Amino acid sequence: MHEVSIIQSVIEIVTKQALENNLIKINNVSLRISELSGVMPESLEFAFDSCIKGTMLEESTLNIEIVSALGECKNCNLEFPIEHFNKLCPSCNKFCTNIIRGYELYINTIEGD
Amino acid sequence: MSEIKVVANILHTNEEITSQNKRLLNDKGIYVINMMSSPGSGKTSLLEKIISKLKDRIKIAVIEGDLYTTKDAERIEAQGVPVVQINTGGACHLDGKMIKGALDSLNLDNVDLLVIENVGNLVCPAAFELGEDIKITVLSTTEGNDKPLKYPRMFENSGAIILNKMDLLELTNFDKAEFYKDINSLNALATIFETSCLKDQDQGIDELCSWLSQQVNINSQFNKACI
Repeated sequence: MHEVSIIQSVIEIVTKQALENNLIKINNVSLRISELSGVMPESLEFAFDSCIKGTMLEESTLNIEIVSALGECKNCNLEFPIEHFNKLCPSCNKFCTNIIRGYELYINTIEGD
Repeated sequence: MSEIKVVANILHTNEEITSQNKRLLNDKGIYVINMMSSPGSGKTSLLEKIISKLKDRIKIAVIEGDLYTTKDAERIEAQGVPVVQINTGGACHLDGKMIKGALDSLNLDNVDLLVIENVGNLVCPAAFELGEDIKITVLSTTEGNDKPLKYPRMFENSGAIILNKMDLLELTNFDKAEFYKDINSLNALATIFETSCLKDQDQGIDELCSWLSQQVNINSQFNKACI
């Protein structure tokens, strides 16, 4: 259940950003979660609803965008979408060892008053 | 209402502490393993075997992650190497900050190989870097060959994978061909070992230990070349 650690970190970052931007209340938090990160949106939502109580985010909604994973073939330099179980280059069929994008967990935007 | 573009890495704090750990450990020329698996796959038994075979040649230290007990740390201590216990108090993974605290309790000038035994869990530890040189995942035959497909990230990010409890293979329906096929699709570059930690008849431990000492030597030569 590391989703709780992730949400606690989200609350910390959002609160800091809100204070820096003179917001007193957060209405929406948008996250970008990469496909291979192993983080479940449902678990994040569950952790979010529990952890925001008593914080500036108490009445906010959570928006999660899933970002697809991308690899680069070291053999032919082609960039192509990868999945956990398919990392073969569509052009030369070599196993992709360079995952350019796939594990990121980002806070994209926040909305507040 | 105003919208603010944040674009902040959620795990930034962990990654910052992790890079500090990594710098410190690199400066000391220590090779660091983050050892992960589900509970009961045999991480501690493997470590006992590795330590008893390598401790005369390589200076080993261990950080033990456990939710509540010191049981594993006591077993490692009995092997006569320095060990630090981290009790996560229920948390399902180790993070960079916990490792930083543990490093303060070790004499790093006297360590060539640091093994961090993560909390037994096939999911969460995979998401938290600790400052390691390599992740090693242990899977035991009794868990079933379907685990790499069910918990892909840990196997995908590991430099080596140890298939343990080979002595029990015949008693299970573990399909080795399927296991190798799945690992190949997830992580074709992983080095794979097959082991058993039976008391008087261990299996594959010598191969694992010789590969490990090779990694430690490469790391130490690389560090000397950098100085």
